[in-house]
Amino acid sequence: MAGVIREIWTRKDLIRELVLKDLKLRYSRPALGFFWAFILPLVTVLIFYIVFSVFLRARTQEAPFVLYLMSAVFPWGFFCNSVIAATTSLVENKNLIRESRFPYYFLVLAVVLANLINFLPSLAVLIVAAGLIQRGLPGGILLLPLVLLVQCLITFSLALIFALFYVKYRDLKYLVEISLTILFNLTPGFYSIYLVKDALSPLLFKIYLYNPFTGILIFYRCIILKGFYQAVGNEFAWLTSAGILFCFCGAVLIAAFLLYRSRKNSINDYLSY
Amino acid sequence: MSKKYPLHGNEQKEYLTEDFWALKDVDLGIKRGEVLGIIGRNGAGKTTLLSIIAGTLAPTQGKVVLGGKVVGLFNLGIGFQDELSGQENIFLNGAILGASHKELAEKLDAIIGFSELGNFINMPLGSYSQGMRLRLGFSIVANLDFEILVIDEVLAVGDALFQNKCFERLIDFKRQGKTLVITTQGLDFIERLSDRVVLLDHGALLFDGPVQEGVNRYRNLLNTEKFFVGLPQGKRPGLIENTKKWADNTSDWGHKFGGKEITIDTVEFIDQRKAKVNRVNTGEPLTVRVVFTAKDKVENPHFGVAIFKPDGTYCYGPNTDFDGYRITQITSGQGYFSLDYRKLWLAPGEYKVSVAIWDKNEVVAFDYHYGYYDLIVTGPHRSPGGFLNVPFKTECATVKERLTGWFTGKNHLLVPGFDLPPAGFPVAIAHPDLKIESLRFLDREGCAKNVFMTNDPVKFVIQLKHSLPGKNNLYLWCGIFRDDGVYCQGMHLRVGKGKNYAIIFPRLPLLPGGYRVTAGIWDAAENRFLVYQPGAYSFQMVFDKQDHGTVYLEHAWEWGSI
Repeated sequence: MAGVIREIWTRKDLIRELVLKDLKLRYSRPALGFFWAFILPLVTVLIFYIVFSVFLRARTQEAPFVLYLMSAVFPWGFFCNSVIAATTSLVENKNLIRESRFPYYFLVLAVVLANLINFLPSLAVLIVAAGLIQRGLPGGILLLPLVLLVQCLITFSLALIFALFYVKYRDLKYLVEISLTILFNLTPGFYSIYLVKDALSPLLFKIYLYNPFTGILIFYRCIILKGFYQAVGNEFAWLTSAGILFCFCGAVLIAAFLLYRSRKNSINDYLSY
Repeated sequence: MSKKYPLHGNEQKEYLTEDFWALKDVDLGIKRGEVLGIIGRNGAGKTTLLSIIAGTLAPTQGKVVLGGKVVGLFNLGIGFQDELSGQENIFLNGAILGASHKELAEKLDAIIGFSELGNFINMPLGSYSQGMRLRLGFSIVANLDFEILVIDEVLAVGDALFQNKCFERLIDFKRQGKTLVITTQGLDFIERLSDRVVLLDHGALLFDGPVQEGVNRYRNLLNTEKFFVGLPQGKRPGLIENTKKWADNTSDWGHKFGGKEITIDTVEFIDQRKAKVNRVNTGEPLTVRVVFTAKDKVENPHFGVAIFKPDGTYCYGPNTDFDGYRITQITSGQGYFSLDYRKLWLAPGEYKVSVAIWDKNEVVAFDYHYGYYDLIVTGPHRSPGGFLNVPFKTECATVKERLTGWFTGKNHLLVPGFDLPPAGFPVAIAHPDLKIESLRFLDREGCAKNVFMTNDPVKFVIQLKHSLPGKNNLYLWCGIFRDDGVYCQGMHLRVGKGKNYAIIFPRLPLLPGGYRVTAGIWDAAENRFLVYQPGAYSFQMVFDKQDHGTVYLEHAWEWGSI
């Protein structure tokens, strides 16, 4: 692990250039530029809001629906965009891999970092909105960097695993896209966890609640939305969830690097044709 | 070390029964500061070997030990993005090649300077020509810090000037004591640059040792297998149908290229009075005398001298190779060569002259002073805008009035008021009472043709139809244009009562290519064309000899040591 960190540090300029390239390609030509990083997630939230809150009259007891929605859609968008873009990144950059020498996971890392930068504006919007609507933020907001880091590491690890497999198994891209859609609808993004509790058996509900994807979402809400933790506190033991989350994060990270280590020398062979 | 390529399931079943070993037990030591050339046929494993040395491929067995920072160059401009500017791409590409942001920022000016892209550096890369991309790509590498450079064929791309510039830089690297590992099919390149060669075949090391011996072994290898015999060797038989008509890149004018094994010391223009000049009268003899110094003995060089118009139009560029001379060897020390033009049929104006000493196959110059010298041709200008002053005579058949071309000093003036022919081939002008019935090109037997050999006699025969008794200052004007629209020369004669006119070239020295003739009738009283037929007539020139440029100028070569 120390080797990886040293590797990243010595070639940090390359990562920077790769991230910059990604952002420049995305924003340097459109007239509205970086504003799109605000506009797109807000439009997504608007659509969800109209459909679920206005048409279907969905209500959530844990927090105002708009905030409830934003706190799910924004971090999810970051995760989902990163994983989808990173899965194909090794194959798409096969010329780079074939013709130059650098740790290939940089390509995945750069995609995740570019999407992180892309995510920060909407995160800021979410925090400001929560602060205004709820007249204040919970003290847990100080844990935001930690939650963000955990999410980044999980995103990067999964993205790297998918990217490495995608080199050989090209069906994976579609499987990943489908799985992400399913996963989004299964996590309590636009419905209350109490609705889920009513529908599932207690054991299944526990599994549902403590799986890392629901877990990190609940953490985001707890630290950004005032009163959220009190609203779910009866059901949700944060320590258990945090433990599971850290274990999961560590496990996928280690799995990703073990897989990378075993594949890195043969990737180029498979990309050659 | 060895390298095996894995196979996908299907391919393995259907096509190959065993794994493919691209390299087998290659054991190589390379000394610091050594230039190693790797040669071999396509598929011999050269690129695989280089990729392993550069670290982009991992060996299946064995390992590579490197004594410094290695840069692998398998393609110029890796990771270039069309939407980013040239400068942004410098940082991206440089970072991929392993340079830090700080290093690139420090060398940015040097890189931009070397690339000669000027203000283009801030334009998106998508707007660049292929040549500009290559220049930028190489400029980045040329300015990076490294100890070992691995180059795979990349320098085979680009035009002659680009290759020269690259070669020069590689020589610099060699002098700086950097280790170079190079593959290329350009054997001259290898012969001139390498200290040692390695010959690979079917993934195995066939030879490792002195350059000349290795190259010879490789040539023998090529000749023993029928498949490689009979490839076109440069010149094809039969008639040449076109020549190079433009300079490669006028933005490189005033530069010196080449490996400098021979350096050009002085270049002098000498006129018919044996005086050193920089201006010469049109139609008079001109000698270009070049003194050079060879550092060491050099085999099979070529000499070349080329004349261009300032806009890059190629006037004429003979070299000793085209002219069939074989200069076996130049010994070290001072020597000279000279080119005598018997008559310089260039129109008055400013010209740029390139002087070069080339290697055997004109891949990389020893010394190439590109567009380096200014030559001014003086004298009366009979065809404004054109750059040729080829002698001709005119004839008006009916009046029995015989006008001779101006160069004999008789009775031939500019058309009053006529300045430049309209550029390109604009709209035609017609007149109710005046018409050019026909314009034919006749050969020496009087047969109408439209393909001529360079230096054949050609007669333009023009038939008019006119009924304008009041007009007596009409001129028939014919302009010869190249197919690409470049105006070469204009000819004119006064229109009298007769209908038949002729322009006679005792020798038409135009070099191979397509030409078009624009014919018009100029009214000198009204200063306008009454009839104008842009590019209406065309003919083709062919030649039995290869040459560059537009006009053949009779010449002779001479060389020797001093």
